[in-house]
Amino acid sequence: MSNNKLQETIRDAALNKNIGSFSYWLHRLTGIGLAVYLLMHTFVLSSAISGEAVFNDRMGAVQSPFFAVLEIFLIAGVFIHMLNGLRITLADFFGWSRMHKSIFWIIAIIFIALMIITILLIWPKFNPANYPVGG
Amino acid sequence: MVVKTSSQSMWTWMFQRLSGLFLGFFLVTHLNVHHLFHDITSTGLINFDTVRTNLASSGFWKVYYSLFVPFVVFHALNGLWAIIADYRIPGKLSILIKAVFCIFAAALIITGFFTLKNLF
Repeated sequence: MSNNKLQETIRDAALNKNIGSFSYWLHRLTGIGLAVYLLMHTFVLSSAISGEAVFNDRMGAVQSPFFAVLEIFLIAGVFIHMLNGLRITLADFFGWSRMHKSIFWIIAIIFIALMIITILLIWPKFNPANYPVGG
Repeated sequence: MVVKTSSQSMWTWMFQRLSGLFLGFFLVTHLNVHHLFHDITSTGLINFDTVRTNLASSGFWKVYYSLFVPFVVFHALNGLWAIIADYRIPGKLSILIKAVFCIFAAALIITGFFTLKNLF
């Protein structure tokens, strides 16, 4: 990978501070984050191959108030990538590229609404008293 | 202007969007069941039994999750490949990365299917 090309991309983002450039970076960063999460998800769930006890042990280790906070970031990443991916697909398939900035603000409002609902639903998971004693 | 491009790039571009649409629908239902509407105060922690009960509730879920595995692996690795390809890496290295990605994809899909087999 050419280092100059990477520097060029970063300079380009600093120079073109607009919605298209911002959502391009947001899509890449959330995409890389979700790919890393997919690996961890596979690691935790694949314990089912070793049987019920191993699975429950590993699943229990990732269910705590700390992981509930991480879950908020995960879900935010999923919603950003999902809504922005829909914006890209609409622009690509229906030639709506001239509307891409308006669509960005529409999905931004949908994102905020979804995140408020998410935090309300996940709220009980932030309370350590709701978890069984001894994990 | 419509021009003829490499048919492989065209196929992966199209399938990245189609798999993305599928994953959008899939993740909305998956998040609802296992993250958002999973009420810890009444059902406790997610464990082997809860996952098995959820998956056994209908054959639809089994088909849905079996499709999810190859779709998400393709979408993730093809997405990462698109980022790498943006930096115009030399031909030989590019072939090597593609080969590593293919092996990795196969390993992830096989692991995913064996995991599901144990949970079905």
